[in-house]
Amino acid sequence: MTLDPTLSQIRDGLRPFRRRLWLRRVVRDGTFSLAAVMGLELALALAARIVPLEWGRVAAAAIPLLGALALLVDAVRVRPTLGETALALDGEQGLRDRVSSALEIALRSPDLVEAPLAAEDAPTAEGTATEDAATYARFVRLQRRDALSTLRAADRRAFRPRLQRRPAAVTVVLALLLVPALLLPNPQSDVLARRENQRAAAERQAEKLEKAAERLAEGRTAPDPRLDLSAELKKLARELRERPEDLDAQLARLGSLEDALRARIDPANEQRAAALSSLARSVSRLSSGQDSNPGGDPKKANEDLARLGEKIDGMTKAEREALAADLAGLESTARQAGADAQAALRDAAQALGRGDATGAKDALGRLGDALARGARNVELNRDLARTANDLQDARRQLADAGKPANQGQGQGQGQGQGQGQGQGEGQGQGQGQGQGQGQGQGQGQGQGQGQGQGSLGGGGSNARFLGSGSSSGGFGGPTAGNKQFSTGDIDKVLADFGRLGKPGDPSYVAGTGGDGQTQQGSGTGQGTPSDAFVPYTGVFQDFYDFAITSLERSTVPLGVKDYVRDYFSSLNP
Amino acid sequence: MTEQAIEPAATRLSPEEFADRARAIEREVGRVIVGQHALVRQTLIVMLANGHALLEGVPGLGKTLLVRTMAEVLDCAFNRIQFTPDLMPADIVGTNILIEEEGGRQFRFQPGPIFANLVLADEINRATPKTQSALLEAMQEQQVSVARQRYKLDPPFFVLATQNPLEMEGTYPLPEAQLDRFLFKLWVPFPAEEDLIAIMDRTTGAETATVEHVASGADLVAMQRLARSVPIAPHVTAYAVSLLSATHPDNERAPGLVREYVRYGGSPRGAQALVLAGKIGALMDGRYNVAIDDVREVALPALRHRVIRNFEGEAEGITPDAIIRSVLDAVPPPRVD
Repeated sequence: MTLDPTLSQIRDGLRPFRRRLWLRRVVRDGTFSLAAVMGLELALALAARIVPLEWGRVAAAAIPLLGALALLVDAVRVRPTLGETALALDGEQGLRDRVSSALEIALRSPDLVEAPLAAEDAPTAEGTATEDAATYARFVRLQRRDALSTLRAADRRAFRPRLQRRPAAVTVVLALLLVPALLLPNPQSDVLARRENQRAAAERQAEKLEKAAERLAEGRTAPDPRLDLSAELKKLARELRERPEDLDAQLARLGSLEDALRARIDPANEQRAAALSSLARSVSRLSSGQDSNPGGDPKKANEDLARLGEKIDGMTKAEREALAADLAGLESTARQAGADAQAALRDAAQALGRGDATGAKDALGRLGDALARGARNVELNRDLARTANDLQDARRQLADAGKPANQGQGQGQGQGQGQGQGQGEGQGQGQGQGQGQGQGQGQGQGQGQGQGQGSLGGGGSNARFLGSGSSSGGFGGPTAGNKQFSTGDIDKVLADFGRLGKPGDPSYVAGTGGDGQTQQGSGTGQGTPSDAFVPYTGVFQDFYDFAITSLERSTVPLGVKDYVRDYFSSLNP
Repeated sequence: MTEQAIEPAATRLSPEEFADRARAIEREVGRVIVGQHALVRQTLIVMLANGHALLEGVPGLGKTLLVRTMAEVLDCAFNRIQFTPDLMPADIVGTNILIEEEGGRQFRFQPGPIFANLVLADEINRATPKTQSALLEAMQEQQVSVARQRYKLDPPFFVLATQNPLEMEGTYPLPEAQLDRFLFKLWVPFPAEEDLIAIMDRTTGAETATVEHVASGADLVAMQRLARSVPIAPHVTAYAVSLLSATHPDNERAPGLVREYVRYGGSPRGAQALVLAGKIGALMDGRYNVAIDDVREVALPALRHRVIRNFEGEAEGITPDAIIRSVLDAVPPPRVD
């Protein structure tokens, strides 16, 4: 079918106008879309000032994208047809429906769409029904020619894109309102930052808990309680990740588990550990005649005890009595190491005293077992204590992360100071312990423990020192000087040690109980000149201030605070 | 049946010839009728649409002169019927009279004044409804029935009726059914002062204006056929229908004035009048297509007599023109942005 050329030309002539009309529609709808985007952005910005919107930034970025997407879809939807273009052109240019009528009538009369025969253009003669149809057809073609000529004369600049005044004005107003809404400080930002910190802290603590759980479970087999604890820690870590915003509940869970662990921890564990170590080292020395087990390894002591048992048969009575006396001398240490060890030691001494070699061997065997069992318990308690400390640390970190930003800043400063002191304390203690306590303190118990150990272990050359880390560092250096002063000297310097070092006392930390051998270490003169000889009245105020500050910054039971304050009151010169 | 029976046009007109003749008629009528261009044009549209017009205006505005001038310009048979309360239907359509012929007597139909191309029904509202209804068949069917015999009226046939809106005492308002038969109801306005001066000059001097025949009845018939052949776009027809629908108070597009003061809206004849008159208007303007503006231009005369006001509307003095204008406002031309 050959399209009527006039009709075809009309369609071709309309296409540029259609593109312009399309552009006008897109601009018009774009104005609306922009106004809507601005309105939504403003509403979002205002809402974000009222309530903390964690998805606010995403939404703020998504709104323009959605607006652009909507405009894109709309642009496809509003693409005008040629008929619409004709109607619009007629309306805009005042063409009195010439173009639209030509197109619509072509659609209505498909038999008139084809190219006409030449004769069809001529006026018809006599009027009949057929001639009426011919007249109609002639009118249709005349309309098309008229439409085409009108179209050619139409202003090519028709359908200029124009902004809709009202939405454009609304857009400008909204934009002006949006600027301060975005630029002025938003109080909810701090809330969001705190939540973010909280989540990050939760994630960090969850990782730590998981590592602690793995550490606890490593190499363990059922029914080791550490496996259950490991599972509990993993569960806590999972909950921390899943619900980091539920701060109170998480803190409660952590606290609950921590309390449960603290309840299980033997407060005299380190004292027991020190006693076990000392006892092991002593029995090894008894067996070998030299300090063959300086680390106090229970296994080595067990072997040495077995060898000692084998030697009993070949001992003279005097040697057995001497051995019994030596063993009896260790009883006080064995009492601290545990009832089993004490009983076995006493039995061994008594059996040797009676000349019962078999009984003595059996008792020495039980002593070895008691040492090994005690060592395992010590290790378990240490794991529990370490885990409890991890939980406490996690709880503190989470609580700090959940505090308002301004408070967080203050807290951060406080923490910074605390950490600095803590590090100094740790280093100082490490050095102090290592040097002062020599072999016995090589394991390093941490800050408080190191101090306590020093105080408790003052029977030997242990540093009797209770104070802050900075002071311990200062003290750590001069452990070389420790060899030069005795316990009696210490009493003059620090005073009232009777109040320290008791099991269950919060400030009590078990010491390793020096055996007087620390002179070996200190005798080398490796330490730095000590300030420990400065009378305590000269440093009391510093110690007191630090202790009070620490009490205020740490979660310490009231009773313990009172205890510490009383202690310093009693020392107050 | 008339003495001057008009034959169908020998040739078909072109649209350009249509426009030329229409302009010639307007121009020639304008030589007698001063001003009143819209009235002349609308009257001509009625004639070219093969319709009938009801002219309403106060006495002395040239209604009768207009019709008579039209008849002279168109070289058509013209009859004037002065409607009075005692006018009988037979006085209009004719009657059988007894005639003696060739030794016998027989009834022969004596055509009434309705048998003309152009009938002026002067002061139609003064005749009784019975007489008024005698016009119904003639206007609608273009035939009359007398004694069971039907007599065709020769084309073109127009009834141009007049009525005086002032002297309503002793008149019989036209029933709605008969009003609906009129294509247009034309309001004859009072002339402007400058037109009045021209009228004085023309009518009080020694010379009287004369007109020439510029078209015949056959031309008129040919023009009528051509006008009906004008294609109209669907959206224009739809607009005419929308206008008519909006005159009905229960239509969703009806404006408040219609909802409040109109009892019945226009009949489908109203839409027919809009479309047909629109076609003629387009041709008279030299266009081949009907524009929406063509429809809007004839909305007042085509619809004002078809809108029946309710009691409140009449009591409030709401004119049909005001109602139609509110309809035009309520139904704007379709606009594509």
